[in-house]
Amino acid sequence: MSDIIQPASAGEVADALRRASDARQSIVIRGSGTKSDWGRTAGRVDAILDMRRMNRIIAHEQGDMTATLEAGATLREVNQALAVHGQTLPLDPPFADRATIGGLLATNDSGPLRHRHGTPRDLVIGIQLATTDGVVTKAGGQVVKNVAGYDLSKLVTGSFGSLAAIVSATFKLAPLPAASKTMRIGVADASALADVVRTMMASQLEPVAFEVAVPTPNDERRTTNGIEVLIRFASLPTVVDAQIAQATAALQSFTTSLEVLDGDAERACWDAHATQIWNAPGAIVRASWLPATLAAGLEREPFPSTGLGAGRRAEARLEASPTVELRGRATVGAGHMRIDGDTAAQAAAIMQLRASSVFGNIVIVRGSAELKALVDVWGSHGDRQPLFDALKRAFDPNGVLNAGRGPL
Amino acid sequence: MDRGFLTELRRIVGDSGVLDDALELLTYECDALPHLRQTPAAVALPSSAAEVQAIVRLCARTGVPFVARGHGTGLSGGALPVAGGLVIALARLNRVLDVDIPNQRVTVEPGVTNLDITKQVAPFGYYYAPDPSSQQVCSIGGNVAENSGGAHCLKYGFTVHHVLGVEAVLPDGELVHLGGSLVDTPGPDLLGLVVGSEGTLAVVTSVTVRILRRPETVQTLLAAFDTIDAGGAVVSDIIREGIIPAAVEMMDSLAIRAAEAAVHPNFPDADTVLIVELDGPAAEVTALFDIVVRLCRRHGATTIDVAQTDEHRARIWRGRKAAFAAMGRVSPNYYVQDGVVPRTKLPEVLNRIRALEARSGLRIGNVFHAGDGNLHPLICYDERIPGQSDAAVEVAAEILSYCMDAGGSLTGEHGIGADKSQYMPTMFTPEDLALMQRVRAVFDPRGLCNPGKVFPTPRMCGEVPGPYRRHPVEAAGLAERM
Repeated sequence: MSDIIQPASAGEVADALRRASDARQSIVIRGSGTKSDWGRTAGRVDAILDMRRMNRIIAHEQGDMTATLEAGATLREVNQALAVHGQTLPLDPPFADRATIGGLLATNDSGPLRHRHGTPRDLVIGIQLATTDGVVTKAGGQVVKNVAGYDLSKLVTGSFGSLAAIVSATFKLAPLPAASKTMRIGVADASALADVVRTMMASQLEPVAFEVAVPTPNDERRTTNGIEVLIRFASLPTVVDAQIAQATAALQSFTTSLEVLDGDAERACWDAHATQIWNAPGAIVRASWLPATLAAGLEREPFPSTGLGAGRRAEARLEASPTVELRGRATVGAGHMRIDGDTAAQAAAIMQLRASSVFGNIVIVRGSAELKALVDVWGSHGDRQPLFDALKRAFDPNGVLNAGRGPL
Repeated sequence: MDRGFLTELRRIVGDSGVLDDALELLTYECDALPHLRQTPAAVALPSSAAEVQAIVRLCARTGVPFVARGHGTGLSGGALPVAGGLVIALARLNRVLDVDIPNQRVTVEPGVTNLDITKQVAPFGYYYAPDPSSQQVCSIGGNVAENSGGAHCLKYGFTVHHVLGVEAVLPDGELVHLGGSLVDTPGPDLLGLVVGSEGTLAVVTSVTVRILRRPETVQTLLAAFDTIDAGGAVVSDIIREGIIPAAVEMMDSLAIRAAEAAVHPNFPDADTVLIVELDGPAAEVTALFDIVVRLCRRHGATTIDVAQTDEHRARIWRGRKAAFAAMGRVSPNYYVQDGVVPRTKLPEVLNRIRALEARSGLRIGNVFHAGDGNLHPLICYDERIPGQSDAAVEVAAEILSYCMDAGGSLTGEHGIGADKSQYMPTMFTPEDLALMQRVRAVFDPRGLCNPGKVFPTPRMCGEVPGPYRRHPVEAAGLAERM
């Protein structure tokens, strides 16, 4: 049974870490717990550092468009408060209603808005950390432009709580757009998807999101026949309409269906897009790709069973598991894949993806203990491994943080 | 320097790749911050990553400190040599390794200039976004070291937002790949840490950047105002409208006059000029530009000059980007600082700077990135007049203290380098600096990689920071500056 510690100040966070380190007790930092099953299977957990009492908006400088937020604040609470002033922290990660600021940074998680605004690492401008020696430090600052000293906020983005506890962070904000509309497009196969991606990349259109959703065969949740593409424009109302008209003219010939959503229908479409992959069973991995090669990748293992490779459709549909669903940022080249099938099939698909020339940076975010025993969650860190080891020793010499789940 | 070291160095890079003649070394004794100077023991000019690796291994084995150098355009003494140390000049690593238009990526060696990346991809309708004023000559490797910004980083971000990966040689000589063509390398963002680390963590040997599609439309205006407050109010109102311009720049009368004398951009003779550039889809730019024009009028703009042609726009930018160099037209010497304040504190801090100008007797030109609160005060002095260079340093320190008072930063894009390391304790606590040093020790436990930069170092007694003057002990040949 793990102790639960609920600090209310930076000093209390640091004290908890120091005590755990001195006593060689394993401690796991947690926000809302939306991603607590990510990473390797946890080892012994002596204590949980529950950050939810530290949920304040420390500062919102409206004129400077920055906000300083405690780690335990949820993105939703933050954005509700910012919206009153027409501003937003432009992140829309999975579990956006519960995810906390600290968890978002630690996992560098993001969603479709990454196309325009990047990930937490691109928005964070300052950070306050507590280290296992019981010290509270800061790096970066409160201003959007600043190169003084090392940017330690980058060091903790993607660290999964393995190096230090994030106490609070300062972000640059974005203005809330006046209007938004989304094009929901169906394309028949990988080659038509390639046409859409190429056309959008060559155009001077500036969407805020550009998503691709490749379903598994016979997926009943499909709203379009084949691959679904979502392109969202957000700006002044007339500008949104002008861009939709331009995009429609450019893309029409590649599509099997094309509808423009706004209001409740648009919100419902994005909610479904965000949640569907997580509500279905199977393993989920993060994956990256080069935008121009995505379509070609969908015609190779482990994808042919999705039946999207032109000409291979008939026989592919007969194949058994695994089947792979992909959702992500088409031209950023990042998203999630959900892998159906039994553990061995999931493991085989992950190994195929890791060996592929198209996909890379395959990290398991949701998977059974059996799967995680068969394939490493993180994959090889290559020539970075010695630096990771040295960083871990420097920040967490007694190895108490994060119960072995993280990348280091 | 040990003869054996030089022999080994010549074995790695050949005779033509080693400079140790006193005259040749002069070029390398400073970067674009000329008042800090130090002659290195030697300069190595490698032509490949493998040669860089061999040089760094040699330094590691022999304990010789080294400083990587691009094209020497840095403004904080980041490439200042170490006495008795080696400069690794990366000018010969200037190959473009890959131009991948379909995936919007370019991979280059560190000695390729910032603008050359754009030149590679411009025929296809693309460009590389970060645009420091020195972009025609500065190297991408230096941009990575300094996390360079530029006039357009308000909308597009800094180098760190556009570099996808680097290959680098660690201070022990091991080659490491951080990031890459694919996004989301698992684990801590070491790439983001190395970008902006001012050459203290590694020597970068190749850089993969993201290129952007040229925006459909660009609109630029130059507006003149009678007061800095009026210009500042326009900037605040633009942001309040939810507009993120590609660039918002301000110049004061001294900077305007200097630019006019140097490159004749046809700027009005005004207290303050504001340059606002919007880019993006035509419909958006047109709609928002009208709002910007209206705001300029509301705050009493005396002139509004809208660029009608690309040449017209280029002329406006020439005036702005030439402002630093142009100070040479109005002052024998100048010292540029790079402090940052929250955008809303700009008028307050600028008024303090003007009061300081009156009090100090030194003229101060102001050129700044108003959108992100990044000041570039140009402090004019004449080194031939006794006491003036010291006074300039004191004025610069005072301005940085205003930035700290306002909750800002010591540097927005030029870096701490050797120039501002002594001010770091005004921004960071000893604990903050100790944690950064701990990170540094992970990469460079022996402190050989660009030592003496970023972090404050204990100085010899009687030594004053600022423009170079030889310590009496040095002058007597009794000690060297390490």
